[in-house]
Amino acid sequence: MTLTFITQSLVSGINVGALYGLTAVGLALVFGVMKILNVAHGEFIMIGAYTGFWLFTLLDCDPFLGLPLVGIALFFLGMICYKVLFSHVAKFVEEVKLKNSLLVAFGLFLIFPQIAQTLWTGDERAISPVYSGESFAVLGIRIGYVPLGALLVAVVVILGLHLLLNKTYYGKAVRATSENWRAAKLMGINVERTYMVTFSLGVAIAGIAGVLIGLTQALMPAMGMEWTIKALIVVLLAGIGSIGGAFFAGIILGVVEAVSAIWMGPYTVAVGMVILLVILMFRPQGLFGKA
Amino acid sequence: MLEVQNVDVFHGDIQALWDVSLRVSEGEMVALIGANGAGKTTLVETISGLLRAKAGAITFNNVRIDKESSHKIVQMGISLVPEEKGIFPGMSVLENLELGAFPAKSRKQKDETFKSVYGLFSILKSRLQQSAGTLSGGERTMLAIGRALMAMPKLLVLDEPSLGLAPLVVKSIFKVIQEIQDSNVSTLLVEQNVRAALRIATRAYIVENGRIAGHGKAEKFLHDEKVIEAYLGAG
Repeated sequence: MTLTFITQSLVSGINVGALYGLTAVGLALVFGVMKILNVAHGEFIMIGAYTGFWLFTLLDCDPFLGLPLVGIALFFLGMICYKVLFSHVAKFVEEVKLKNSLLVAFGLFLIFPQIAQTLWTGDERAISPVYSGESFAVLGIRIGYVPLGALLVAVVVILGLHLLLNKTYYGKAVRATSENWRAAKLMGINVERTYMVTFSLGVAIAGIAGVLIGLTQALMPAMGMEWTIKALIVVLLAGIGSIGGAFFAGIILGVVEAVSAIWMGPYTVAVGMVILLVILMFRPQGLFGKA
Repeated sequence: MLEVQNVDVFHGDIQALWDVSLRVSEGEMVALIGANGAGKTTLVETISGLLRAKAGAITFNNVRIDKESSHKIVQMGISLVPEEKGIFPGMSVLENLELGAFPAKSRKQKDETFKSVYGLFSILKSRLQQSAGTLSGGERTMLAIGRALMAMPKLLVLDEPSLGLAPLVVKSIFKVIQEIQDSNVSTLLVEQNVRAALRIATRAYIVENGRIAGHGKAEKFLHDEKVIEAYLGAG
């Protein structure tokens, strides 16, 4: 009985962890390439979730099938935000860039929830297709269709990103820019455009994660910050700049939280924090970061 | 081919170059010599578009390039190997070389360029899958030069290629620079190893405190008493 209970927690931990990982990957991508910390990352998750909600309620579009649409919409939103707000910041040297980008992103963190409040009111919303509560059993463990679908989508997105970064010319240009933007310019790479596309890609991933989150949790205009903090913890846990590591660190955090919830109840958030502190004490470069 | 006319460059409020003019003709190797801090690196970075000239003009094959961005200048055919080499340490040697051929025109012919780069630096071929961060200083220099050649430049700009390398390695690097020169690529060579640079260059410019203090046939400087005293030392 206890064993089934633990395994059940493990499974739901992996499901939640995949979402942690997916949100963290978007943040890690933008931070790794541009060296700016997008504290409005969670706000883009929120906007993505509500976009999915709109597609579902207004157009009756299946949330999973609507994911590419949300991704594209958020990509363009990211592009506009980059052009209008971040492109001026990206020109500065690293330290100034980090500080100024924090200010700009905090601005977005203040504005976006207000916009969401106006568009979707403060009421809790949910994306709930007919199959949302259903599940099937494997060896006595219940697996929900929605969490499983979300896990698969997360894995596909991460794999896609991995292939893009490692196998395509464009992806290699992105990695080169993150390692040394000056040298990247000397290779003939358009660094400004690479920044714009990377930022928009990060926002698109956040939007997709938002829909997946909206399928399992209630949506509120103020939900963003919680996810920004989660993503930050996971990025620090993985080690800054490690994109693949961010996904695995997300899964680790999800599993630890879910399994510890059996004994700790509402204090599981503290468990995540303690793990982060311990890892930063003994492995300051993070689990997957290079020393 | 490359024409720098009366260029002034500033680092913030501080002027680094005053009224600098310089010319590199087709197939020529031009050496840029001078003390540390004289402004040689500033000059080549301005040519590559990393820095902006406040006054003056730079043209390449009769096209103004002093307002162009760096990646455009690379596409036009000027490749800079910077002083710090700027290799991508977390990427493999092969990926570094591939990125050198990023401009569309050079990407189409990258298989052939690969062959000629391996011909110049056979050691790179045996290290293709190794990450570039594990290379020695000399190998990094070879990778940086090889990578710049992958873009198939018309003008190769080398900023202190021999800096910090062992004498034997310097010798082999200079041999390769000579070979590149023979393959009809024009070269602008910034070098603190003045004697070696003057031996292989056709012409030379001397930079002093941000100004061009003299220019002429490289050979002439090898026997110029003032140059010998200032840069070559006795013997």
